[in-house]
Amino acid sequence: MEEGGVNVIDLTQADESFIKELKELGAEELKECIQCGKCASTCPMALAGLEFFIKRIIHAANLGLRDILLEDSSVWGCQSCNRCVEVCPMDVVPYEVIQAVRRAAIKVESCPANTYEGLRNLYKFGHAVFPKGFEERRKKVGLPEKPPTALSNEELLKKYREVLRQTILEEIAPFPLD
Amino acid sequence: MKKIGLFLGCNIPLNRPDVEYSARYMLKELGVEIVELEGATCCPAYGTMPSLDIVGWAAASAWNLAIAEEKGVDTITGCGSCYGSINEAKYYMDKHPEIKQKVNEILGKVGKKYEGTATHWNFINYLHDNIGLDTLKEKIKYNLNGLTVALQTGCHNLWPSRAFPHTEENVFFPTKLKAVVEAIGGSAPNYSTLTDCCGMGALRSNAPDKSLALFKKKLEVIKEEINPDLCVTGCSSCLLQFDAGQALLAEQKKINFKIPALHIVQLVAIAMGAEVEKATAMASIPLNGVITKIKGGN
Ligand code: SF4
Ligand code: SF4
Repeated sequence: MEEGGVNVIDLTQADESFIKELKELGAEELKECIQCGKCASTCPMALAGLEFFIKRIIHAANLGLRDILLEDSSVWGCQSCNRCVEVCPMDVVPYEVIQAVRRAAIKVESCPANTYEGLRNLYKFGHAVFPKGFEERRKKVGLPEKPPTALSNEELLKKYREVLRQTILEEIAPFPLD
Repeated sequence: MKKIGLFLGCNIPLNRPDVEYSARYMLKELGVEIVELEGATCCPAYGTMPSLDIVGWAAASAWNLAIAEEKGVDTITGCGSCYGSINEAKYYMDKHPEIKQKVNEILGKVGKKYEGTATHWNFINYLHDNIGLDTLKEKIKYNLNGLTVALQTGCHNLWPSRAFPHTEENVFFPTKLKAVVEAIGGSAPNYSTLTDCCGMGALRSNAPDKSLALFKKKLEVIKEEINPDLCVTGCSSCLLQFDAGQALLAEQKKINFKIPALHIVQLVAIAMGAEVEKATAMASIPLNGVITKIKGGN
């Protein structure tokens, strides 16, 4: 929302129940934030120039701005670096707020497509990152084509899938968990 | 004899198996027996289960830790995410019995259990705190001969320190990787963006231009302030950015230099006499100059 170069936030969009939802999803200390900006001063999202970086995300979360937060993709650019957790003087655990927003967003399928790709790979192969051509690369350095992970052990991979099927993935995955 | 469970993760065995080769070579030379963690999986990566909920995150990590516990070993990883994600999950489980209990209900269905007995190491801390710098020095065949190295410890090796079994005196001014590089004869001057993020990870996947622009800033500071022969990382994701990411920036004509990059286990393995072709097989930026400097001066 640009107006004369200033971002205007429409407070009529505030949704109290969203604050409660975020707390339940892990952002327990959300209300403790004093907007001191210490987190933003170290946050790579802020330094890289993402519009919604940590301090603003927490502000928006505390205002219950559900639609703005769920539509904006900034939270998916968080590096999970935990600098914010390390420096926050109020123990807000800001990274948990990012994760809570992601958790809320994924429930309404508002996440980048690569999120599903990672989850699908994790479930199918036991590896979220599953690049093509690894067999050749491994041979080149004299290692067996498959690493000794779940990739080499169908029985354990099946057990791992069974573990994942008992988690929230079962409800959320937009792909079949067989 | 020391033993350790080699936790591979995804990027090292599948994208950069030259790092896996190097880790195996280095551990063997150090007299550490490698225990394979059969059935181990992704840590899980932050954009997967951790972005769904805490119990799912913890259960996926506990699966990996339980494999190590069954074998009675600690684990070690060269990937920052694997270090951070598993240690954070462990922190939640060890601090909140109700999470641990839920996880064990899940694992119990497949005959596994998480106790919390295995320590999850990264290579920097393992070399520095467990092997020790004196032992490391004794095992080196080629001294680095004052090779100038730019250090990149990696975010997940540093923060959140509360979740990590081993940490730095000042997590915003880490010194352990520096000590390791210096112990094998390198020179590792400080530079002003030492702990800045390299931009790899979720930022690179979701905002690639911004990620590379952030990395470019860091690289330019490195070049200007210390003009190193080599960049050395403690994290395989940082390695991908410093090597392939840097090559991409050069190809796009956004930088006019290329500094070779290695993971710390590659550098140590080479200094111990590993086969260079294998130890650097997937590098995008040629390392000939660096290798000549290391091997030529001895
Ligand atoms: S550092 Fe903590 S208190 Fe300060 S703005 Fe960030 S979250 Fe709020
Ligand atoms: S964890 Fe995310 S929000 Fe916190 S400092 Fe890192 S990138 Fe920013």
